[in-house]
Amino acid sequence: MISLRINGEMRNVDAPPDMPLLWALRDVLGLTGTKFGCGIAQCGACTVHLDGAPVRSCLLPIGSIGERAVTTIEGIGASAVGAKVQKAWLALEVIQCGYCQSGQIMSAAALLNNTPNPADADIDAAMAGNICRCGTYTRIRAAIKLAAQPA
Amino acid sequence: MRHLHAHPGGDQTRRAAGLNTAPNAGRAWRYTLAGVGAVGLVLLLGLLWIVVLAPRPMDFAGGHHVSLSDYHAQDPTGPPPELNAASLIQRGQYLARAADCESCHTSEGGVPYAGGRALVLPFGTLYSTNITPDKETGIGNYSDANFLDAIHKGIGRDNTNLYPAMPYASYTRMTNADAVAIKAYLFSLAPVHAPTPKNSLSFPFNRRELMGVWALLFNSDKRFEPLAERTPQWNRGAYLVEAMGHCGECHTPRNLLQALNEREKFAGAVQAGWRAYNITSDRGSGVGAWSEAELAGYLASGHADGRGTAAGPMGEAVDRSLKFLTQGDIAAIVAYVRSVSGIATADLPAPKASPAPSSQAAGPAADVHPRGKAIYAGACAGCHDWSGVSPVNPFASLIGARSVNDPTAINVVQILLAGAHRRSPGEPANMPAFGDAYSNAEIASVANYVTARFGARPSAVTARNVAALRSQH
Repeated sequence: MISLRINGEMRNVDAPPDMPLLWALRDVLGLTGTKFGCGIAQCGACTVHLDGAPVRSCLLPIGSIGERAVTTIEGIGASAVGAKVQKAWLALEVIQCGYCQSGQIMSAAALLNNTPNPADADIDAAMAGNICRCGTYTRIRAAIKLAAQPA
Repeated sequence: MRHLHAHPGGDQTRRAAGLNTAPNAGRAWRYTLAGVGAVGLVLLLGLLWIVVLAPRPMDFAGGHHVSLSDYHAQDPTGPPPELNAASLIQRGQYLARAADCESCHTSEGGVPYAGGRALVLPFGTLYSTNITPDKETGIGNYSDANFLDAIHKGIGRDNTNLYPAMPYASYTRMTNADAVAIKAYLFSLAPVHAPTPKNSLSFPFNRRELMGVWALLFNSDKRFEPLAERTPQWNRGAYLVEAMGHCGECHTPRNLLQALNEREKFAGAVQAGWRAYNITSDRGSGVGAWSEAELAGYLASGHADGRGTAAGPMGEAVDRSLKFLTQGDIAAIVAYVRSVSGIATADLPAPKASPAPSSQAAGPAADVHPRGKAIYAGACAGCHDWSGVSPVNPFASLIGARSVNDPTAINVVQILLAGAHRRSPGEPANMPAFGDAYSNAEIASVANYVTARFGARPSAVTARNVAALRSQH
């Protein structure tokens, strides 16, 4: 049994330590907001936060998480930055099909946590690992800039 | 000679035959002879230097060899004491793993020990053989004596000479008992019908007889003899390293005739397109600065925090061999390797130990290799982070790894092309292969960005370098 702090709550997961966090979230805990895309950390759809840093959960073994706090798309709205990102996403209608957007929002929130006023280069570097087949990139960039404005 | 040349009849005959009769022909003839003599002398001295005077693998330690029967401390050969009660097959399995037979005798994705792995050499491709007990295509018809001939002398059952890609010049130190135990284990496997693909070696390397000459020059055909002055642990390490694990076959440079040059023992070499690094005790370019726990951990798991992760051929050596060894045997290997004095490798700097800045905008490589940086942002940073310290898996941390601190970036390019596929359970560490996704120029740019950002000295890999490394897959 492995104990994980997920969205502020301690959850027990009865699974082997080499199970990737994404599997534990979706199949064991029922937190299906985080999506499976490629399974090899190349698309960003499965991005969650580990102590605030963006991490691809598809390759992260649950046995190696330890005390670090996991935040998923279900919990990101509880933080001020996360709530602003979600609001900006809605205001600019960023989402098209939506499959990649959990990961997009998690990466954007992590960026704004560390870099409250990101330059275009910061946005490029932070978001390059999150692929969107609908091509919503220009709206993602605009929404990040909107979320960065003081409330 | 002068007389012969001055002979008028000789001149006439030559003139008649239309041969060169220039006045300096005699001198040229003499020069030629002197030249041939000089070349012969150089060759002779060269042979003397690399054959007769060449140090043997344990000579660096000094001291006196004693035969195993005269060595009364704990026997350095055989399986470890943990297997005292084990069956012959179990002991053979341990020893087969210690000798890492599986890595070479298994093709990619193939049945273990069924052979067929391609070894791409500059003069053609060589395939490893099937060593399952299949009578037609494997070693099912080998007697113990046949097997010992192959292990100790490099002679197959059909009396042909094996290529030294089979490290019999190392295995020749293995005791008969250990070799026969390995055979018993191999014969316990299910026979697999798998003919070995035909080698495609160019002349003269397709002549197996030549390998007999090579063996005559470079295979001692002598079993392991411990050193009287050294501890049982050191001698156990020597046996594991020199007779079984054959570490030097990759980590020791070779001479012109492709035998190990023990004068530069463990100083590192490029083998099969990968750079086997310096494992001498040199602090900067070798492993002299590693703690014993780091070395032992690296051998047993293929990773040491702040020192990097084994990939490529070393990853295979860990996953198919070293991770199965007992702690005692790992400690013995460490003790032995540690005792090899340092040889510096000129182009390898001491690895940079500090992480890169966590912001993409900061750091020494912020503006170089924009293409490489863009690819890093999209394909690499998710696991390796901008700092080089992975938030996902410690195996994916780049900081302190020799590969990113190697200005040839050979292994970085190889890992980018082929990915890293480690087998260790509990700590899965897989990096996808990017060879099909990116061009040679893109791979070069990523490699140069990575070494500049995370290493002590940046690389200057070109697309041509990448193409050359690609061809060795």
